Amino acid sequence: MAVAGIPILENLYPATMDMWPIEAKEFNRIWPFYENLKQGRFTTTKCKNCGHVAYPPRVICPNCYSENLEYIDLPKKGKVIVFSEEVRGVPLGFESPLIHAVVDLGVDPVRRLLTRIVNCPAGVLKRGDEVQLSVFEIPAIPVEKGKAGTIMAERVFFAFEPVKK
Amino acid sequence: MARKAVILAGGQCKWGVREAHLVDLFQEAAKICLDDIPALKPKNIDGLIVASSYAGRCSFQVNTAPVVAERCGLKPTSICTRVDVLCAGGSTGIILAKGLVESGMADIIMVAGGEKLYTPQKWEVFYSELASVDHDWDGAQGMGLPPPFFALTAQEHMIHYGTKKEDLASVSVANYNYASTNPVAQMQKALTLEEAMNAPTVVPPLTLYDCCPITDGAAACIITTDEIAKKFTDRPLVYIRGTAQVCLNSVSANFPGTHLADWKHTKIAGEKAYSSAKVTPNDIKVAQTHDCFSISEVIEVEEFGFCKKGEGGQFCGSKQIEIGGKVPVNTDGGLLACGHPFGATGIRQGIEIMKQLQGRARHQVKDADIGLTHNLSGANAEHTVLIYGRTPVK
Ligand SMILES: [Zn+2]
Repeated sequence: MAVAGIPILENLYPATMDMWPIEAKEFNRIWPFYENLKQGRFTTTKCKNCGHVAYPPRVICPNCYSENLEYIDLPKKGKVIVFSEEVRGVPLGFESPLIHAVVDLGVDPVRRLLTRIVNCPAGVLKRGDEVQLSVFEIPAIPVEKGKAGTIMAERVFFAFEPVKK
Repeated sequence: MARKAVILAGGQCKWGVREAHLVDLFQEAAKICLDDIPALKPKNIDGLIVASSYAGRCSFQVNTAPVVAERCGLKPTSICTRVDVLCAGGSTGIILAKGLVESGMADIIMVAGGEKLYTPQKWEVFYSELASVDHDWDGAQGMGLPPPFFALTAQEHMIHYGTKKEDLASVSVANYNYASTNPVAQMQKALTLEEAMNAPTVVPPLTLYDCCPITDGAAACIITTDEIAKKFTDRPLVYIRGTAQVCLNSVSANFPGTHLADWKHTKIAGEKAYSSAKVTPNDIKVAQTHDCFSISEVIEVEEFGFCKKGEGGQFCGSKQIEIGGKVPVNTDGGLLACGHPFGATGIRQGIEIMKQLQGRARHQVKDADIGLTHNLSGANAEHTVLIYGRTPVK
């Protein structure tokens, strides 16, 4: 794969141009979130010291600064509070229609989660509709592993999709 | 006697799609800034604060301040640094400069902001915006470009307060018309309500004139103390009376309001700035609020107390933001029509307020003595307010 204008980048991976998170354990301490996502689980971190649930997940508790955290499951279904649909001029990397919604998953801190809605044609979604977690593959990236050489790190990401009635 | 910070001079280069390098734009702005105050020479300037967020991505240039200093012929000895707070970078530079000159750590600081966003292939401008929000969480949800987020905001304002599309359009009309005679604005065309109402859709309910453009440009201003300023100018002094910068969230999931049209952080920033400036909303004669989208200005006039919460649509729709209205807003054209090179915007706003308070603005507000500037940055993640006045805080 050639890079126009910059032939020296042929076949190289520029992390600075990657629209997705670098999820691999070697580069990200919240890698369990992405591993759980691969199992179809939507999770975040809860503090074992003070009980605070934070979203997105993190490596310290933002409330008491404890590092003693555990991953807990969040609801995977919720209701659309409000949504927007972009049909034309959708940015590179996303398909038309690009739909965003504020979704109520029914528990703190995800009563107003801002997420993308996928698998939904334009003009169909309504306020109050039920949506559910949708996990999909995103491109794997080459990670250098010393003597083991370069491995391809598989990745997934998530959005929400309408629940079929 | 206590040192009091003033904005002594300022200048903005032509904004738009510029056939120029980032450091060219900084040089243009620095020259126009010093042309505004002929007695001040580059050698008098002992500090430089550069505001630029996209230098690293779009010009492959980090550690930007020394490059800007060298190209502009500056040899700072007190401070030479860069700030990155996206849309609030310029205002942040002014806040920091105020602290530095009032404490005596610096005497005369140039605050220069600029962005070169258009690259040889246009896709990169839009793609790079994935860095403007929380990359891994909001960017990966397709929130890099802000129209969807502000479309949701506008919808919630309509749902909760009955705001109409005409109210949004009236903001675009006012700001475009202010800019129609501004030679450095990106958009210099008069706009009618009919044109604004019939413009192409971006993300409903937002249409073309509801959204600020992507802009190359730079601006620079000089922050010093009142006693030093008097040596260089006979113009009325414009004091930086009060400031606030509030950050309660970064990720959209932790938005502080009860809904997206309830901007608690904006309100807190306004109240803090009013109290540090010892003024009230009724004292504000002219304001430059962050009209990245028409809906933003509608909500800002509410949260800053120019009208009641929920009545921003009516306030803007009834021409209260125009000359002769209760608080003329974005009198040089705002972000909607001047354009929005992120780090330069707060400086552009400060320059317009300086000119208003000195009685030399293009659309002059009569007897303007107190003015406000405001930026929001990121996915509505931070709010920055400055209050300027003809007299210092007692
Ligand atoms: Zn805790």
